[in-house]
Amino acid sequence: MESITLTQALLLTLMAIIVGIDFWLEAFFLFRPIIVGTLTGLILGDVHTGLIAGGLTELAFAGLTPAGGTQPPNPVLAGLMTTVIAFTTGTDPKTAIGLALPFSFLMQYILLFYYSSFSLFMARADKYAEEANVKGLVKINVITTLIVAISYGIVVFLSVYVAQDLMKTIVQSMPAWLAHGFEVAGGILPAVGFGMLLRVMMKAEYIPYFIIGFFIATFLPFSNLLPVAVIGVALALYEYFRTKEHPALYNNVIASKGDGYDDGI
Amino acid sequence: MTESNKVLTKKDITKLAIYSSLLQASFNYERMQAGGFTLAQLPFLKKIYKDDKKGLSEAMKDNLEFINTHPNLVGFLMGLLLSLEENRESREVIRGLKIALFGPLAGIGDAIFWFTLLPIMVGISASFAMQGSLIGPILFFAVYLGIWLLRIPLTHLGYTLGVSAIDFIKEQSKVFSKAASILGVTVIGGLIAKYVHIEVLTKIPVSEGHVISLQTDFFDKIFPNILPLGYTLLMFYLLKEKRVNPVILILITFIMAIFFSYLGVL
Repeated sequence: MESITLTQALLLTLMAIIVGIDFWLEAFFLFRPIIVGTLTGLILGDVHTGLIAGGLTELAFAGLTPAGGTQPPNPVLAGLMTTVIAFTTGTDPKTAIGLALPFSFLMQYILLFYYSSFSLFMARADKYAEEANVKGLVKINVITTLIVAISYGIVVFLSVYVAQDLMKTIVQSMPAWLAHGFEVAGGILPAVGFGMLLRVMMKAEYIPYFIIGFFIATFLPFSNLLPVAVIGVALALYEYFRTKEHPALYNNVIASKGDGYDDGI
Repeated sequence: MTESNKVLTKKDITKLAIYSSLLQASFNYERMQAGGFTLAQLPFLKKIYKDDKKGLSEAMKDNLEFINTHPNLVGFLMGLLLSLEENRESREVIRGLKIALFGPLAGIGDAIFWFTLLPIMVGISASFAMQGSLIGPILFFAVYLGIWLLRIPLTHLGYTLGVSAIDFIKEQSKVFSKAASILGVTVIGGLIAKYVHIEVLTKIPVSEGHVISLQTDFFDKIFPNILPLGYTLLMFYLLKEKRVNPVILILITFIMAIFFSYLGVL
């Protein structure tokens, strides 16, 4: 049984803050378990365990991606805690992956909570945009990123040093409906954003295209929106050529200020 | 285009590529990457609009609208949009192009980076690491660093393409905006189906040993995604006709989700 010194705990916390910000921004991919595990091993003075734990966790997490807007179990805490648990308790890294999962879920829930609650900053951002207040907008982005960074620091320091057992109990005793509620809210919240987009863009004459886009995405079993975009391009080109070929329509579009319903057919 | 409009240098565009890393700085479910998307472009929007507070404000407001695209490819979009801003294109054209492009870029990016490159890199580097070799993580790091660096040429490409497309866009602006709006609205329809998730968990027992799941046996068979569509249209209605504050809608959504999760409905 190895224990973690205060210096090691602080170094792990610092490392988690850096890779945590990287996960938040998805910039350098330092947040993947293979990198996190290796760095954790380096800090603990046991690179070998770090490499093996990191490699194993990476394989387990290969399919868990944030693609499409769903938040996967947190890869930073998974890579870090798998290595820490394997190192401190001497368990096989394969078993340690499972023991590290509650920590990974805890961080996932915290981020889900932020993804939802940071929506509240957007009203302030709108106000700053109205005033052309550049500093205000920078401030919002700094605050949100800082909140995330500090959260990583606190969770990791508590997990690896202060209260590893306690943290595990908390994660396990969190009511499922509450955790699930965060997930559900995350799934529905984009509706508010799309509602706002529609408020800006929607006109009666565009309803057919809206219906087409919705139904293609609903019924085409495709993992991304490319087919919808391609059909959108086709529809846009069709309308573009149709408008250009009919001088009456063309003049109508040119004359209209971009609002109002045109019944030029 | 007239040369006098040109205020951004090559160095600015390279900086833009680097700043594009901040895309998700204030990520949230309501607007997704909008805050960071605006943040990365701000120094250059400021340079373009100088003392024109109103112009800067309009540009900031546009950029704060919902956007969710791929971090590795967003530089292309930012470069393109800034070249349009620099030439004072109409807001409809800039917004239409943004909305038309972010979804496809996200799709392409997810397909390339998450679904193709990551599994390949994991396969190679994890096998090295599990043999205790540092080559694994080093290789992984090197490849992703290279991908990050790709942002720079991509951003320049977006900017250059935007400039050369401007004469064409200007001439056709009105017709073009309409076409761009059509593309945008089509994609929004698709976004609702893809990104809004409402799944009813309620199951109704109809006879002994036989239950009907509201989601899989009813909604999915009659009208898949009707709940996401219905909820989005409700939001649209409340925002447009009732002028409800979006913050209220977010809070209500949040409380409702936890409440229905507690009841086991969602």
